[in-house]
Amino acid sequence: MASSSSTLALCSSFSAQCKVSHHQNPLTFPSKSSISLFKPNSLKLASPPILFTKPAFSPVPKVSESESALIEAEFDERAPEPAQVVTATKEDLKREDIYAVVMVGSRQYIVFPGRYIYTQRLKGANVDDKIVLNKVLLVGTKTTTYIGKPIVTNAVVHAVVEEQGLDPKVVVFKYKKKKNYRRNIGHRQPNTRIRIIGITGYQDYPVTTLDS
Amino acid sequence: MTRIKRGYIARRRRTKMRLFASSFRGAHSRLTKTINQQRIRALVSSNRDRKRKKRDFRRLWITRVNAVIRDMGVSYSYNNLIHNLYKKKLLLNRKILAQIAISNKNGLYMICNNILSQQESPGML
Repeated sequence: MASSSSTLALCSSFSAQCKVSHHQNPLTFPSKSSISLFKPNSLKLASPPILFTKPAFSPVPKVSESESALIEAEFDERAPEPAQVVTATKEDLKREDIYAVVMVGSRQYIVFPGRYIYTQRLKGANVDDKIVLNKVLLVGTKTTTYIGKPIVTNAVVHAVVEEQGLDPKVVVFKYKKKKNYRRNIGHRQPNTRIRIIGITGYQDYPVTTLDS
Repeated sequence: MTRIKRGYIARRRRTKMRLFASSFRGAHSRLTKTINQQRIRALVSSNRDRKRKKRDFRRLWITRVNAVIRDMGVSYSYNNLIHNLYKKKLLLNRKILAQIAISNKNGLYMICNNILSQQESPGML
């Protein structure tokens, strides 16, 4: 298909830009996160206070060089937040009524603030690193969506690397019958767990609502 | 060579296999030789199906998106949607589309309307 090849060309041209910070997850093709196929994100809601106790400015968040230009966006977001911690947590729960579709490690994930996702191992990301995901394909709330063509410009998903671990073991057993050939190999794919903090930067993008 | 008894070597190996086949039905979880065979079949199936899983889920997603899209109107279908998606350079894949379709149908309708409406603008072809 000519159109699909053009889309692929677009993807490759974006791969340089979308050096996702240093993004997984579930529902993936590179199948390792099998069961999560239908539950892109875990259902864990991190209680807001935990997120905000991270010292905002003191340790310089170790982010890869390509992201240095975007760190300023994170700082601006951090400043007003501690003031909001005092207000009821109900407001924070209401605030999380937004989701984004982000592409990490050539897989797409639906992302909610406060939940975590498993992605392919992000090289060079250490635990407690603030990560910025650039390839945001769609941002949505219950009534409106910002549909990216192909990405929502200036939209950014902030996340924190929680853990660099391995997927559960998969036994790769090769066997040919009547030919005395069997090979038993175990495999654990490295992954990274990322907790999503917030979605920003989408407000200026043309919005789509049900009426239009 | 000195004399060596086999001792518990075989038993240990077979215990591991028994553990693997512990949930199989009937003789397949009780008899050693059968356990061996069934374990091989199970592992081969899991290998093959890991590759199939990718195909199966893609089919499922396509079916789901198709089902929701056809509600939109006469003669609007999955293939039209995908064609328009590529034309408008959206990068959403079928998994995400299916998830949006089942959890939040309005989201999918918004995407469709967006794609369709832009098509009517004079500059496009």
